[in-house]
Amino acid sequence: MKLILLAVLLLLTRAAWAAEPDPAMIEAARKEGSVVWYSTLIINQIVRPMVDAFEAKYPGIKVEYSRSSSSDVALKIVNEARARRVQSDLFDGSNTVFLLRDPRLVTAYAPKAVGAWPAELKSQDGTWTALNIFYWTAAYNTNLVKPEDVPKTYDDLLDPKWNGKIAWTYDLTPGGPPGFVYNILSTMGQEKGMAWLRGFAQQEPVTIPGAQRVVLDHVISGEYPLCVMILNYHAAISMKAGAPVRWLKMEPLLQTMGLVSITGNAPHPNAARLMVEFMLSEEGQKVLADNDYIPAHPGVPARMPELKPDAGGFKVNLVTPEMARDQTAAWTAIYKDLFR
Amino acid sequence: MNIAAADPRVIIAVVVGGVLVALMVPPLWMLLQDSVTTTDAFGDVTGLTLQHFHKLVIEKRALTSLVNSLVFAAGSTVLSLLTGGALAWLVERTNAPLKVLAYLVAIISMGTPYVLHVIAWLFLLGKIGPLNDLWRQVTGETGVLFNVNSMAGMILIEGFLWSPLVFLLLGSTFRAANADMEEAARMSGASVFDTLRRISLPLAMPSLLALALFVFIRAIGGFEVPALVGMPGRIYVLTTDVYESTVTVPPDLGHAAAFSVVMVVIVAVLLAFYGRLSKNAERYHSITGKGYRPRPFDLGRGRWIAGALIVLNFVVVLLLPLLTLAWMSLLPFLRSISIAGFASLTLKNYRAVLTAPGYIGLAVNSLIVAAGAATAIMAITSLAGWIAGRNGPGGRILDQLATLSLVFPGICLGVAVMEVWLRIPLPVYGTLWIIGIAYVIRYMPFGMRYIYSGVLQLHRELEEAAGVAGAGTMTTLRRVVAPLLTPALVAGWLFIFLIANKELAIAVLLASPRSQVIAVAIFDQWVNGQGGELAAFGLIWTVLMTIIATVFFVFTRRGGVDVHGN
Repeated sequence: MKLILLAVLLLLTRAAWAAEPDPAMIEAARKEGSVVWYSTLIINQIVRPMVDAFEAKYPGIKVEYSRSSSSDVALKIVNEARARRVQSDLFDGSNTVFLLRDPRLVTAYAPKAVGAWPAELKSQDGTWTALNIFYWTAAYNTNLVKPEDVPKTYDDLLDPKWNGKIAWTYDLTPGGPPGFVYNILSTMGQEKGMAWLRGFAQQEPVTIPGAQRVVLDHVISGEYPLCVMILNYHAAISMKAGAPVRWLKMEPLLQTMGLVSITGNAPHPNAARLMVEFMLSEEGQKVLADNDYIPAHPGVPARMPELKPDAGGFKVNLVTPEMARDQTAAWTAIYKDLFR
Repeated sequence: MNIAAADPRVIIAVVVGGVLVALMVPPLWMLLQDSVTTTDAFGDVTGLTLQHFHKLVIEKRALTSLVNSLVFAAGSTVLSLLTGGALAWLVERTNAPLKVLAYLVAIISMGTPYVLHVIAWLFLLGKIGPLNDLWRQVTGETGVLFNVNSMAGMILIEGFLWSPLVFLLLGSTFRAANADMEEAARMSGASVFDTLRRISLPLAMPSLLALALFVFIRAIGGFEVPALVGMPGRIYVLTTDVYESTVTVPPDLGHAAAFSVVMVVIVAVLLAFYGRLSKNAERYHSITGKGYRPRPFDLGRGRWIAGALIVLNFVVVLLLPLLTLAWMSLLPFLRSISIAGFASLTLKNYRAVLTAPGYIGLAVNSLIVAAGAATAIMAITSLAGWIAGRNGPGGRILDQLATLSLVFPGICLGVAVMEVWLRIPLPVYGTLWIIGIAYVIRYMPFGMRYIYSGVLQLHRELEEAAGVAGAGTMTTLRRVVAPLLTPALVAGWLFIFLIANKELAIAVLLASPRSQVIAVAIFDQWVNGQGGELAAFGLIWTVLMTIIATVFFVFTRRGGVDVHGN
């Protein structure tokens, strides 16, 4: 009896976690024959493995993809829509969907695969679903920072000895200085937060013209001993390769999300849905984990489990996509005011 | 009709002018439109505004950025003209030894992706680079001898980036210069230096000025060096300001467009100024129907000093950056040059690059589109440049049209080309064609400069002689002008071919899933911080480009010799 119950329970959970796509949708997608993915992700690291897995599971549907930044992808989608020559079926990115504010540019779709996910990982109106998670934090070079000097809290970063020695990115998104500003203000409160930020500005953090990964590389190479707003999994991967770097649990870490959406008037609507379902399924999310990304799926652990808050034991501060959409400009203004 | 029959140049001018208008004007129109309109979320125009210009004027630090831009552009122009020009004169007009090294520098530099140069220089001169490392070890200090993230660092790196181009362009000027006057000066007892100052330099002045203007404009619109070198030192120029406005969320393209319009105006003024200078270009024609065979100066003992300078240039501009790249490509992660570093050397990055799928397809696409664009540009500019250089019908207009795209920052041109060709009902968007078209627009000014300075040096009497002998315009073009212009043509083609393969901003924006080029892969590695893989990939690509460049270079030299009957 217990066994049967367990089996039923297992079946139920399995059904909830891994709803198989509708066979009719698969058939319709096969007829469409291909699907076009405008990505902001790194091709060799994750786009190609994901495409290979999808094509292996659904032979006969070819995935075509190209890669550029969030703003470039948004620009292409807007211009193609205006010319009525929509090329893409789905797109990803932390910010892409918010640059597309006209309802004609995005198709609402609530993926079955995420039915049981927490509400914060999917949109109310079906315009986006979380694909992967980013945890932003500080890191240091182990050759340059003595164990007793390692900063533990944000206040430690204001020690005069770090003047001109903290690097961060020039990326003006929630994953860069604007998100950092938000994290400080929301944890310390407006007044104390602004005072702290002014103190941090006096530390003259160095703006590295490159993505967050590039900032981390400057720390690894020894150019700067410390950095903020880098991804914990990037530091963990380098650490494993022998680089003299550790990421810090400087709490709260900032959390943002990579999102996936379907283009408005997508030329291959069924294949687009099928691809989205696949990427969000346990199977697709495992492809993310296997390639060192942190999956959004609550039931799929990261390859190094300690990179997620529960297994790693750290607190996070979430920037919801709505906040990112509505407040990034204000955070950016504060950054420009104080740091430029 | 009668006029056309009398002067086929009118027909050529009209046809070439039509092509240039069709290519150049629509993107400019888009730019103007973007700079004075507001749009809704769907990108549709909602109204007229001057707010973008207003913002440009009132923006904090706008003046500082402008001044920085001017200092940066002027400094790097002077540096590149000094180094590249001196080298060109030594190599082309004297008996200095080891000339082949200078060509090697020029060719390989042309083939190396721009961003790689900058990365290598940043490492060399940077905090943990060998220069500052050595200084620390010698003096026991902990700071740096030279802060690369400064205006001096920016000028140094930008100047070195342009010096190979200056070398190549001025080289053809000096090579083609008439030796009679120099010879006469020497026989009248003038020293090498006097001859250089009183004869050679004035003769080369139109080309020098044209080139200076050209480098200046490019440096003012340059982005990589201000961003990679200047930003960490908090030195902002106009382009980095604009870049920031295109990457903020949401991006402010109107602001970027307004900036470009201001650039159009500045450059138009500079070009008009240049136009007045070159009116008297006739004075400087020095390839005439007479003996065309420049004789090199004998530097005497100075030969070896000249040789040392050539070697120094080779070491500084080529060898050090390449060795740096090699070092970076062999490391699992970037570190300073040290024993520990040597112990960790690995071929992992090369393996990763060579086994990654898809690169061959990208390489083939890149070669096709760059070769196509270079060919199209040289076809158009050889006609336009000839008419302009001869003050033919509409010559000035043709010159301005062909030079128009010089003023676009890369990202704005990419956006404008996309907007234009999405509206044209030809299946161009989403294919390699649109990347090719964007390259043609972007690099037309380069082709124009090569041909124009080539034509300026051909004396009209050669064409007049052909006319007297009964040749029509077309025959003269084909039998007299074209062969004499071959060196300029091939050099221009080569230059555009090489530089097109370095383009990042345009290619990344216009590439579709079915039309990817190599620049996209470079961009991927760059933003992803795979510096080691990028260096490995860049070196492999540089080798390939160098082979191609060498083949064409050898061809130009041989072609040139045959044409001149030596």
